Amino acid sequence: MNKYSEISTKGQVTNTKVRVVFGFIFLLAIFAALIVWPSAPGWFGTFKVHLGLDLQGGTHLVYQADVSALDGNEKRDGVQALRDVIEHRVNAYGVSEPVVQTNFSGDKYRIIIELAGVKDANEAIAIIDKTPHLEFKTQGEPVFDENAVEKADEIKTQAQAILDRALAGEDFASLASEYSEDPSSAMNGGDLGYTTRGLFVPEFDKALFDDLEVGQISPELVESQFGYHIIKKIDQRLNDQGEIEVQAAHILFQKADADLNPIVWEDAGLTGRDVAKAQLSFQQNTQEPLVLSSFNNNGKEIFAKLTTDNVGKSIGIFLDGELISSPVVNEPIKDGDAQISGRFTITEAKELVKNLNLGALPVPIELISQTTVGASLGADSVNKSLLTGIIGLLAAALFMLIFYRLPGILSVIALAIYTLLALAIFEFIPITMTLAGVAGFILSIGMAVDANILIFERTKEELRKGKSLNTAIENGFTRAWFSIKDSNISSIITCLILSWFGTSIIKGFAITLGIGIMLSMFSAITVTRTFLRLIVNKRLEGKLGLFGVNKAKE
Amino acid sequence: MYNIIGKRNIWFTFSGLAILISIAFLAIWGLKLGIDFTGGSLLEVSYTQQRPTMEQVQSSLVDLNINSLKLQPSGDSDYILRFENIEESTHQEIVNKLATIQIEGVEDNQFSELRFEAIGPVIGEELKAKAVEAVIIVLIFIVLYIAYAFRKVSKPVASWKYGLAAIIALAHDLLIIMGVFSALGYFMNVEVDILFVTALLTILGFSVHDTIVTFDRTRENLFKHQDKSFNEIVNISVNQTIVRSINTSFTTLLVLLAIYFFGGETIKNFVLALILGVIVGTYSSIFIASPLLTIWHKVKT
Repeated sequence: MNKYSEISTKGQVTNTKVRVVFGFIFLLAIFAALIVWPSAPGWFGTFKVHLGLDLQGGTHLVYQADVSALDGNEKRDGVQALRDVIEHRVNAYGVSEPVVQTNFSGDKYRIIIELAGVKDANEAIAIIDKTPHLEFKTQGEPVFDENAVEKADEIKTQAQAILDRALAGEDFASLASEYSEDPSSAMNGGDLGYTTRGLFVPEFDKALFDDLEVGQISPELVESQFGYHIIKKIDQRLNDQGEIEVQAAHILFQKADADLNPIVWEDAGLTGRDVAKAQLSFQQNTQEPLVLSSFNNNGKEIFAKLTTDNVGKSIGIFLDGELISSPVVNEPIKDGDAQISGRFTITEAKELVKNLNLGALPVPIELISQTTVGASLGADSVNKSLLTGIIGLLAAALFMLIFYRLPGILSVIALAIYTLLALAIFEFIPITMTLAGVAGFILSIGMAVDANILIFERTKEELRKGKSLNTAIENGFTRAWFSIKDSNISSIITCLILSWFGTSIIKGFAITLGIGIMLSMFSAITVTRTFLRLIVNKRLEGKLGLFGVNKAKE
Repeated sequence: MYNIIGKRNIWFTFSGLAILISIAFLAIWGLKLGIDFTGGSLLEVSYTQQRPTMEQVQSSLVDLNINSLKLQPSGDSDYILRFENIEESTHQEIVNKLATIQIEGVEDNQFSELRFEAIGPVIGEELKAKAVEAVIIVLIFIVLYIAYAFRKVSKPVASWKYGLAAIIALAHDLLIIMGVFSALGYFMNVEVDILFVTALLTILGFSVHDTIVTFDRTRENLFKHQDKSFNEIVNISVNQTIVRSINTSFTTLLVLLAIYFFGGETIKNFVLALILGVIVGTYSSIFIASPLLTIWHKVKT
């Protein structure tokens, strides 16, 4: 019995304390309301509800990074660097607040990208995906390739066939635009414009300036380092300096990799990651666009060693796994500047410069999961979530009023304060609200109501036993606390495990539910109790109907 | 006062049957796994005026050679398409084809892509493993916590048995819900996704929440009524908490029903699993968990 009387005195003595706590709750509620209110003045107005991708529309991408080329310790750094590069790109694309995260689990290295409100997910994916993976490789031991011989013959046969058609009188320009593998001239019908001697490779010059008459097409294929050319001399004149100038057109059949002894390329450990700066430039004599890149310190060192070891050999420059050029090293290059020429068009070269400056992807990636939600579906979900939230709250409130009368009213007010506080916390942290997150929050309303129900049921029991109102209420709270604590801790354990569990959907659910449960304990124990203590006085004594206790029945 | 403990054999038989049927469903039909677990793509599209017929959609996509394409009408004028995991470029082609389907006599039929998910098989496998892992870890922690919370109650039933009873009640809930979803999958093509696992885990929390409240009362009554038999004490405790259990579940159900009927389509099955879980979980904490305690007591003496 000691325990009971102790509790009841506590309840009576602390009238001032109750008022203080009430004032505190009141201030807290106003503070929360200001945070929740979107157009609140000043600092309060800066808090906004963070909507998840499923509610506002957007794209969620998961990329798997291929780190097989990196050593143990480098893997994490490599993926971290990858993350930075992707973030640069996405930012350049102009998405508001993109989220780019790394995700390591076991031997899986992933990048998770969340783009809110992106209309064309494919464009975003293209920007992330189509980033250049630039590599420098050195020449290994050559291996004789039988297939290459065959392939070279094939190309020559095809070139001969087109040459025959051109000689038979077919329109040269249309043949060029259809078959030529020189993209920059193909669109002009193969036209290379006026040139003077010395600008082209010697074989080409010989045909143009020595062998052909104006209007004539080369009777045989002209072979050069680039491949097989069909050449037409269109015009010849003298320029201002009195030099002979020739207008020429050609159809090119690239030899591609048709080397009889294809080169085996070996990784040199130098990638686009080591490029500090790239810029567009032009070959002095051909005016062919090329890319000048300067390496960072690390890259400079590797490149110097690379060029020292490979004087007289070529270095392969690969873009996205494809050989774009293989310049021969004349002398060691120590200053860390490399020239990349790859028969680029100006647009291609510009693109490469931009991408290299943004940072090439240090590690190859693969898209393994994509979720895109249209904005209209998102808006629909928001409306529905709001509606269900309000209906759920009203239903719970109505039930409490009918079943528990006076304490019911108080707990409804406590529930309203609970909702305000929860929303304020979600905005303050901030927690991104997803559909599952909303479900978790709504479920936590159920748990908040449960705490009140536990307390009131206990209070009813005490009243039925004939305890005084004050004692019944205080006992109700003390007794119910153990149940509330034990059951809620087990729910919180579940929430913790769920948020560790990973995927964003489940995390969203677990976090809102977990915060909701913790807050609901505060709401039931502090808020409801303070209200009850404040309102209960001698006048209410004996009016048990107000507490949902039917005296006649007892 | 209801004699719940006295009629425990009725509840055990009833639940035993339900569990057997659920296991049979699971053994025969299994669960219909969604793309979250199997990998694959899901595309939800909407037309403003009228959706084309299934034949029109199928014939428009025939050129793209998409494997295992499944079409499902949804809402008034929407479609949900499921197919293999595809490249982004194929996804764009599909959207273009769907956007340009013409229906005779229908003007101004605006097309929009509501949602697209493409999940690689790797992710699916991982999720499956993770889901099982999470359920097991939650179960272990709950047993540990209950054993800890009831550590001072060792007579007449050992504290870890409270934990075990709670876990059996949980397994009961999970099996029955999975059985129901197995049948739903078989008859109505309801798929089990990652949200379903979340629902199961939430039910774990909720059900154990209910069970603990009842056990708590038993713990308290054991100190108070030293003169009564264990069975009587458990029965009193169940009766004292039954109103609270039903009221709480009822309020939670009100909220869940609101989400089910007015909430978004995407979480409908998730909420359905929660609704079933609340009902089954409340039933099991009243009619299974506490009666189990009395069985062990009987065996012991």
